[in-house]
Amino acid sequence: MNNNSSQLLHKLRQLLPRERLLTEREQLAPFESDALPVYCERPLAVALAESEEEIVTVARLCGEHRVPLVSRGAGTGLSAGAKPHGRGILLVTAPMDRILAINTHSLTARLQPGVPNLQISQVAVRHGLFYAPDPSSQIACSIGGNVAENAGGVHCLKYGVTVHNVVGLRLVTWDGEILTFGGECLAQPGYDLLALVHGSEGCLGIVSEITVKLTRVPAETRTLMADFASIGAAADAVSAIVRAGVVPAALEMMDALVISATEAFCQAGYDLDAAAILLIDLDGDPLEVDAEAALVEAVLRKFQATRVQRAQDEDQRQRWWKGRKSAFPAIGRLVPDYYCIDGTVPRHRIGDVLQAIAEFAEGYRLRVANVFHAGDGNLHPIIMFDGREPDALERVEALAADILEYCIQVGGTITGEHGVGTEKFNQMAIQFGDAEIEQFLAVKNALDPHGLLNPDKLIPSLAHCREYRVLRKKHD
Amino acid sequence: MAEQDRTQELQAALEQALAGDMPVAIRGGGSRAHFNLAPGDNPLSAAAHRGVIDYQPDELMLRVRAGTPIAELETLLAAEGQRFAADIPQPAEHSTIGGAIACGWDGPARPAGMSLRDTVLGCRMLNGRGQLVSFGGQVMKNVAGYDLSRLQVGALGTLGVLLDVSLRLLPQPECTENRSFTVSAAQLPDWWEKLRALRPLLRASCFVGTSGSVDAGGLMEGKLHLRLSGRKSALKAALQKLGGEPSAFDWRALRNLRHEFFSAPQLACVVLPHFAELDIPLEETLIDWEGARIWVPNGDGVALQRAAAKRGGFVRVLRGPTLPVANGAGDWPRRIKDAFDPRGLFNRELFNTYFGGGQACR
Repeated sequence: MNNNSSQLLHKLRQLLPRERLLTEREQLAPFESDALPVYCERPLAVALAESEEEIVTVARLCGEHRVPLVSRGAGTGLSAGAKPHGRGILLVTAPMDRILAINTHSLTARLQPGVPNLQISQVAVRHGLFYAPDPSSQIACSIGGNVAENAGGVHCLKYGVTVHNVVGLRLVTWDGEILTFGGECLAQPGYDLLALVHGSEGCLGIVSEITVKLTRVPAETRTLMADFASIGAAADAVSAIVRAGVVPAALEMMDALVISATEAFCQAGYDLDAAAILLIDLDGDPLEVDAEAALVEAVLRKFQATRVQRAQDEDQRQRWWKGRKSAFPAIGRLVPDYYCIDGTVPRHRIGDVLQAIAEFAEGYRLRVANVFHAGDGNLHPIIMFDGREPDALERVEALAADILEYCIQVGGTITGEHGVGTEKFNQMAIQFGDAEIEQFLAVKNALDPHGLLNPDKLIPSLAHCREYRVLRKKHD
Repeated sequence: MAEQDRTQELQAALEQALAGDMPVAIRGGGSRAHFNLAPGDNPLSAAAHRGVIDYQPDELMLRVRAGTPIAELETLLAAEGQRFAADIPQPAEHSTIGGAIACGWDGPARPAGMSLRDTVLGCRMLNGRGQLVSFGGQVMKNVAGYDLSRLQVGALGTLGVLLDVSLRLLPQPECTENRSFTVSAAQLPDWWEKLRALRPLLRASCFVGTSGSVDAGGLMEGKLHLRLSGRKSALKAALQKLGGEPSAFDWRALRNLRHEFFSAPQLACVVLPHFAELDIPLEETLIDWEGARIWVPNGDGVALQRAAAKRGGFVRVLRGPTLPVANGAGDWPRRIKDAFDPRGLFNRELFNTYFGGGQACR
């Protein structure tokens, strides 16, 4: 520990109660990683904030002492974006979990950053409202983290991701200044700094308050399930539904591996003989839902669905969705380890990208299961492996890199909703050229001039990019 | 549709400006300049840089050069049964998509759908170092790097020369119907509430009112116009319940700021979190966004700004004396401007007028 750090810790001890400034080895252990634990590091200390003033205090002191500051919410992130810095402070905003206000006139909710995503809807539903973005981790993940990652979810096809559903933010800068962006209105004057902060992974500031837009609970929600004899046929049906002029609330795909895993896990009622299943939610005005359900069913049949079903009641609907939402733990039961990645591709390329993924996987002697947001073209290949095998993790990382770079090649992106974090740091060099990286770094440098906020995440240096590109060329 | 890739010419012009340290005023069709948005001297026009780069109806995605007229694009999309996901004002027939992005304005359908900013998937631009840079992409979800493409929406060309933009589209609704109601100001708050229940089918709403006669106690009265769209069966049932008169209200004129109301010598709009009385006597008014946007001709800008701020809103002056910038963004606007345009060459005057005042609020 250098002089700066010990001075900082000394001051923090005076300002934060003991139970909220953790420095002991065993206290720090649970904070060493987010939900991607292959990347972990022990921070100098963990500060648990209970108020905006405490965020300001920690930021200001870190700024003064030039000590790195990584902020996080619930730690459910999947890209190691909240991995601590070995010489820095990890600031946890999860204890700030109060819903400050629900405004039924402006249809907004004002929230502390630690409020769990699902809780917003649980409270808003009393007013016939809900918060639309619904990441799979929504029971646990916090709204502050959702903003930092620009989280998506199952129902984003119709309702948008986090950036479409936030109207105001308060943010603490690297030196402890409080800024406010937007408010409760549907527009804002000046630069769109709300957009800039979303997905900035804690690299530009620490979000201390969020005002989200609430949506009216639809009068009717209907769920359709379609079985297919091939992945390609299911993928073609996805594009056809959109082309037919319907925007479903959700449009999800599962492959045979996921179907059998989830059936074994929670008996969702899927057809074990299907090569792929589409799960489709249509919602809105009941008569409109009727009309669109008929339209979608016709498209599904035309595109060779072997069976099309409508959920008969809420119980069946919930069971179908439970299967989808349990896909990850279900896969987790089959293999010692799994690794989920997150690329987005144009919808019409889903079929051939899945084909390519299967071929890449074979080359690395790995199996990949697929369950994903087909309507958005947002893939989540789950690489299954056994970490006890000596070279397993290397093979997994190499396969992940191949898949992500293939996503770029077909006109997509290396991350649709999980973020870059530590995990996709290298692939940024492939997705972007030097000029873009330089522009990203210029923005970062303008708003965090000493590079203290979540260092070595999201945007790699130019030197790092050049090195990685050379390395990948050799690999080819 | 005319196709012209002027990237090289624009890049060369920018390099020349950089070499001579000459500020440039980026402009498109110029159709919004008279709304307090004249970019200044030494124009760098992107209007000739036009044409569709990629349109994939299956992907609900359009990638287009900045100088392309929006009206031409609407025709192209309509032929495929699609439309822009945002409601984009076009003050003139030749209004360009680049100009729309720079201004970031939204039409009356905003509350029911997405803002223009929401629909931006990616962009390509020239920054103030003369570099050609691309951000975002053509896919629906993308969180690789900072979201510098949405940051261009409403930036009034102060951060760079926008070359092309990728936008999200939506299917055209199966059918659309308009209805009008005679409404007094006193009934308005109830109406705005009532409209919420219509939301899945409500496309846009607008109240046009004037000070009533002495008999009416001087209260404002006028017409509430509603635009609904959706599947035929659903719309038919909803209209039966709703009643009202069939309406010939010109929604296009409203969206494009060409309704006669907008011709006043001074024009401002007050954007609020939700409908609220402004406590300012108004001769006439036009209210859209389900009550959350109040258009005021010939009002006192400073008084409006005070009234708006008190209610959590803000004022945009489209014609008449501009107002000082008031926001809580500290020195971020200046820092961001420097990060894109270190020599301060792009749209200097617009930057000073609309982004420069942040420091006063620190």
